Amino acid sequence: MNKLSLLVAGLMVSAGALAGAADQITVHEPYVRLAPPNAPATGAFMVIRNGGGKDIKVVKVGNPVSKVTELHTHLNEGGVMKMRPVPAIDIKAGGEAVLKPGGLHVMLIDLQAPMKEGDVVPLTLTFDDGSSKQVEAKVVRPMPMEHAPKH
Amino acid sequence: MSERLLLAIVVLLVALVTGLGLFWNPELPERPLPVAAGPAGGDFTLQSADGPVGLADYRGKVVLLYFGYTYCPDICPTALAGAAASLNQLSAEERGKVAVLFVSVDPKRDTPARLKEYVAFFDPAIVGLGGSSEAIADVGRRYGVFYAEQKVATAGEGYVVDHSSDTYVIGRDGRLAGKLPHGAAPEQVVAEVRKGLNQP
Repeated sequence: MNKLSLLVAGLMVSAGALAGAADQITVHEPYVRLAPPNAPATGAFMVIRNGGGKDIKVVKVGNPVSKVTELHTHLNEGGVMKMRPVPAIDIKAGGEAVLKPGGLHVMLIDLQAPMKEGDVVPLTLTFDDGSSKQVEAKVVRPMPMEHAPKH
Repeated sequence: MSERLLLAIVVLLVALVTGLGLFWNPELPERPLPVAAGPAGGDFTLQSADGPVGLADYRGKVVLLYFGYTYCPDICPTALAGAAASLNQLSAEERGKVAVLFVSVDPKRDTPARLKEYVAFFDPAIVGLGGSSEAIADVGRRYGVFYAEQKVATAGEGYVVDHSSDTYVIGRDGRLAGKLPHGAAPEQVVAEVRKGLNQP
């Protein structure tokens, strides 16, 4: 509860400090997948909603746990999964982008230190107008596709 | 004169539309994937951290066979978490008759020791298998698995491996019974496993 009010306070402060696209964006159920041992990378997932009247792009996601952070998607070509970087994640006006396993995701590459379940990773989303928003993503164990958090 | 011109234009347009319809195929795939129609499957022997493991060692059990790699950031964890969840839905008796094998399609980076630690994170019953590039390629061919290194300007020594994401179901007789698509619900996997267990 205390943590939640801190988070809310933090969000309000950042909302006040940063104008622009960030004000139109809400982020739901952000989480980072616990990387298995020997896996040098893992994914962060969330639902990003755009409540404003203008299309917004997420161009960068910063975080303190990995050396490199990229935006990726998966193409399923006849059962072959191909992971490819994307330059940005588009969120249409009034729409949402769903980042989930097997699709769009934030890739945390070259993890600096092992994470553990329950850790919280601050992710800073930067938008195409230069504004940004920080969200706290909980580290959770990998789940089968159907059991990923509902939104 | 203008009528003739009009006619010429009409003829030209008709020819253009017909030509486009006949020859223009904008949906051409950039590279056709090998079709995995009716792969033969069959026995193979690869290396685990605890020595050689053959598919024949599991005769009498239903085997779930998955091809992936430890640097795989998203698809393999989802698949292995699905396999682990499926195992957990089985009774202890059923579990004793099911094996899950994870074969690396990244022989350059995945050693058997590395694979063992990786798969145990999901379920200690999962067996990680590696081998030489040739041995892996041979198994892949027989099961109709596509995999290919892709230079992606990303970390982890600079490449990802595109790979088939199906889970192969092998019957108690060692024959390939079918395959499950990526993201199949554990309930679906369990149903397939039970189907296999109920076969003589």
